[in-house]
Amino acid sequence: MAEARLLAADESAIAGTHRQGALELARRLPSLVVAAKEVAATVMHGVHGRRRAGVGETFWQFRPFMWGESTTKIDWRRSARDDRIYVREREWEAAHTVWIWMDRSPSMAYVSTLALQSKVDRALTLGLAAADLLVRGGERVGAPGLTRPIAARNIVDRLAESLIEEAGRRDHTPAELPPPDALAPRTQIVILSDMLNAPDDIRATIHSIASRGAIGHVVMISDPIEDTFPFMGHTEFLDVDSAARLRLGEAQSFKADYIRRLAAHRDAVREACASRGWSFALHRTDRPASEALLALRMRLEGPQGGTA
Amino acid sequence: MFGLPLAFSAPLVLGALIALPALWYLLRITPPRPKQIAFPPLRLILDLEPKDQQPARTPWWLLALRLLLAALIILAMAGPIWNPPPRGQAGSGPLVVILDNGWPAALDWDKRVAAANDAIASAAREGRTSAVVATSEGARDVLPADPSRLTERLRALKPLPHTPDRKSTLAPISKFVAANPGADILWISDGVDQGDARAFAEGLIAAAGEKSSVRMLTGARTPVAITSVENAPAALDARLVRAGSAGAESGVLRAYDLKGLSIGEARFAFAGKNEITARLDLPTELRNEIARLEIESERTAGAVALLDSRWKRRRVAIVSGVTADLAQPLLSPSYYVARALAPFAEVREPRAGTRDPIIAALDEQPSLIVLTDVGVISGLARDRLTRFIEEGGVLLRFAGTRLASGAADDLTPVRLRRGGRVLGGSLSWETPRKLAPFDRTSPFSGIDISEEVSVTRQVLAEPEAGLVTKTWAALDDGTPLITADRRGKGLIALVHVTADTTWSNLPLSGLFVNMLRRMVALAGETTEGATTGTSNTPGASRAETIAPTRTLDGFGILGEPPVTAKPIPVNFGGPSNPDHPPGFYGPPDAMVAINTLAPDAKLNVPNFDGLKLDMQALRPAEPIDMRPSLIALAFILFLADALATLWLGGVGRRGKTSATPARAATASALVAGLILVLAAHNAPALAQSAAPASPALNQKMLDAALKTRLAYVVTGDSQIDEASRLGLTTLSRALGQRTALSPAEPMGVDPARDELAFFPVIYWPIAANQPLPAQATATRISEFMKNGGTVIFDTRDALTQRAGGPPTPETAWLRRLLAGVDVPELEPIPRDHVVTKTFYLLENIVGRTTVGQTWIEAMPASVEDAAQRPARAGDSVSPIIITSNDLASAWASDRSGQPLYPLQPGTGRQREMAIRGGVNIVMYALTGNYKADQVHVRDLLDRLGL
Repeated sequence: MAEARLLAADESAIAGTHRQGALELARRLPSLVVAAKEVAATVMHGVHGRRRAGVGETFWQFRPFMWGESTTKIDWRRSARDDRIYVREREWEAAHTVWIWMDRSPSMAYVSTLALQSKVDRALTLGLAAADLLVRGGERVGAPGLTRPIAARNIVDRLAESLIEEAGRRDHTPAELPPPDALAPRTQIVILSDMLNAPDDIRATIHSIASRGAIGHVVMISDPIEDTFPFMGHTEFLDVDSAARLRLGEAQSFKADYIRRLAAHRDAVREACASRGWSFALHRTDRPASEALLALRMRLEGPQGGTA
Repeated sequence: MFGLPLAFSAPLVLGALIALPALWYLLRITPPRPKQIAFPPLRLILDLEPKDQQPARTPWWLLALRLLLAALIILAMAGPIWNPPPRGQAGSGPLVVILDNGWPAALDWDKRVAAANDAIASAAREGRTSAVVATSEGARDVLPADPSRLTERLRALKPLPHTPDRKSTLAPISKFVAANPGADILWISDGVDQGDARAFAEGLIAAAGEKSSVRMLTGARTPVAITSVENAPAALDARLVRAGSAGAESGVLRAYDLKGLSIGEARFAFAGKNEITARLDLPTELRNEIARLEIESERTAGAVALLDSRWKRRRVAIVSGVTADLAQPLLSPSYYVARALAPFAEVREPRAGTRDPIIAALDEQPSLIVLTDVGVISGLARDRLTRFIEEGGVLLRFAGTRLASGAADDLTPVRLRRGGRVLGGSLSWETPRKLAPFDRTSPFSGIDISEEVSVTRQVLAEPEAGLVTKTWAALDDGTPLITADRRGKGLIALVHVTADTTWSNLPLSGLFVNMLRRMVALAGETTEGATTGTSNTPGASRAETIAPTRTLDGFGILGEPPVTAKPIPVNFGGPSNPDHPPGFYGPPDAMVAINTLAPDAKLNVPNFDGLKLDMQALRPAEPIDMRPSLIALAFILFLADALATLWLGGVGRRGKTSATPARAATASALVAGLILVLAAHNAPALAQSAAPASPALNQKMLDAALKTRLAYVVTGDSQIDEASRLGLTTLSRALGQRTALSPAEPMGVDPARDELAFFPVIYWPIAANQPLPAQATATRISEFMKNGGTVIFDTRDALTQRAGGPPTPETAWLRRLLAGVDVPELEPIPRDHVVTKTFYLLENIVGRTTVGQTWIEAMPASVEDAAQRPARAGDSVSPIIITSNDLASAWASDRSGQPLYPLQPGTGRQREMAIRGGVNIVMYALTGNYKADQVHVRDLLDRLGL
């Protein structure tokens, strides 16, 4: 029979291994470039030019100086070539924002002998790798409730530092779901969690986040032992988030019921996602992390921003 | 109970075993703790109603464990006793206890006495009186006594070292039983037929008649005894007997010397037989030390054999006809014989300078005399030698030039032809002869001949009748090589070659040792016959009897002789008897051993078939209260149960990181503890089995031995050592280029540790700042020099020496070193010394300096024709050369041949002359006086007319 255990507090803390693992994973994929959703002014994403003058690096056009403008904008080199005075305009460039939520609640700190990694390790690895990919693709990445969107090259370190800082706070209890604040339209959110909350909570959170039009991608991480329920005999089950416990005389007789419940739960989550146009994916910790990252990348690049 | 020697002191408690099924039911429905598993998705199924709340059942093995535990405790409470005491005989009259107390009874003596005590005690409880009769007491009246006095009497009884005659006690017993009708007889027998067991039993039954009963108790084991010991040529053979298959099937025979130290042991196994020979395979020296053989685990007088000088090795005297100096042992003929004989015989050589060595050797009273190349023996020596042979001595002669040329005496087995023959010499076409295989009738038959043995010269026997029967070994062309002839009780044998290596290489072969071993065995046979015939035991003429010194008791332990022990007559041959207990008799230097059993004794099992005898086994053991062991077992089971419960409850499954190392640590600590305990038990055995390792040949010794090479002594001063190494390397190269010798790389040696025998020449530069070697080192150097090596001492102080002044530090150092060495007389190298002629013609030996003097062993005063001889040489190579010219620094050059050290004065061809001097010294050390002979070549050529 497979054995499972909870990680100790120091084991589930974010560490250099996560950063290193995330960076290695991210380097294996080509730069993530989110496709432009709209060719016109409603381009979702940053370094793709907005085809109009604005704040940016790239040259856009010269236009005649208009009365009342600041003289510091005059491009004197161009103006010297004829009698008129020109102003250099640059193309307006704006970065797209992706939020990444990594669940670090106690139920994530769980690993069985069948799994390659604990759930929290997998969530952190995936989240940091996705962040690195996105930043290299020019996007801005933030963690809800932790950091504002950042486009720094050392995004992995920045995110990791803030995660450590948050975990070090005395009164900190890690939440299972992201804060239900509505995100700006056309931002995206990636939720990496085991999604074991009540389906109603999940649905409410998704709705409030998406209320202004944000798009989300939910990756539900599970341990293989949670999928298969390989328990036999006289067993007492302990919950990890609460003090609830369940004593079963014959654990094997519960397998069918459990699997049915689990499927219903997943259907509920999937349905909650689909109702707002979000994507939903399952990921088991006995599968390699790159598989999940690849799927996530496809969704982020997807033409619809991920209603796949 | 149930045929087992088991009884319960409180059998009613066993009724509690009925309650076990109830316990089984109770235990079955009390489950162990469930295992606990953390499970994050538990919320999904928390609201499900458990379908089957029936708890898991206790596993069957845990149930069985607990039931066994309960059963054990109940059994322990019932008070089980193993080997419960027997019930007594159901008679009414007094009880007669007859106790065999010969040596076979020593085997279970305590049990026998305890059985007698038990019988007396149970008789006393029934109000019956008892009497004790020991079979050694003879015809003494049987008197009943009260139990306490009988117990004391039993305690005083000890087994005797002989087998008493039981029948002498029959008459008083019959009288007693007749006087006390209803008396019971209990015979505690030793289970051996010696002393007419059956007749005695018949007598007892007859005496008991109808009214009384006879019960016999016998021990489970019958004794094993040693009857005779023979010091055979290859091993010490002991004949062991036992009485039937009840005796020990196998065991260990152990040998002790006179001080009681264990010398060796041999395993033996009867394998169904009742009479075997145990073989103690030990070197002869050790075998000769054996004074006592003992069968381990048999504590009886019969299992002990005492050995005296009759079992000792033979004494061999060697007389050499060669009056050579013994300073060169490898050239002495007696050297090889003595070395070959030393392992198995006591070799005596008359001291040098004895006026008549043969008579001196005969005074040593040897059983074998070896004469190596002694010519004619005459006069008193011949008479004494003849008498020695007539009385059973063996004379072994080796041929030699004296015997080949001398007039014949009659102390040779065959008549010899004058001169002998030479095979394979430079003036002969014949090749050296090999040995023919030994004839079946030869005493040497069975020894493998060696292919390497060859004979180049020998003396020849005159062909005569009976020569073939006298031949013990022959060459492959049929020429006798060893002949022998019987004279009186003794023997003369002649080896037709020398005992050294000049005529054949036989003395170098292992065959030589084996042949001499057979010869010594022959000498033993003849002298033993002689001593028994003429009884020339030392002291025989003076004393008629020999008093006991130390005797054996019934348990086989040597102690003070009892007052009843009487001296033995000188020619006392038989085994011990009540008057003459086994043991050592006579003064410590000429002890005579008397053993318990006759050499041909047998032990038999008595036959009691058809007798009305109540036979019972002697109670094998004391009653054992089994309660403590049962409770201990129950406790262990309880611990196992506790561990199993913990394991079922899942302890050690959760919290993997913290619990597992702790568990592993506990387990390993337990295992380590067990191993420690076992090791503590085995440690002495291990220590014993680790035999001292013989010094193995190391790589350095192999290198040194397989190639001829020069050597220098490592002084510890790195500059000097480097100069020595480079100097000798250059010299070796020069030798390889200029002479037929191509030495290997020179080697640095430490005279205190390394074997020096491999090197012809050792160069020893003196470093005065180094500590002097120990005395043992000086001895080794002395030995090296004596065995033909040459040491060049180089004081390197030619420039600081001052004539008449105080010695330089180096010279003083050398003097102190040589104080412990046997240094011959020295002289400065004379002009005509052969060392100046061996390869180059030199004036003197020079090195870095030229002014120093070089010293060499002084030669004998020049003979009359000195004027004509350009070179002189002694008989051997000078073992020592002392110079002060710092030879190695002059020789030393680097790889490209460039000299490394400046010379003083450095004029002319000093460096070349130094190397030439080195070449000459090496050639001198290797060829000796050969060059001194070659200077006659001109005369030889003249004589041949060329």
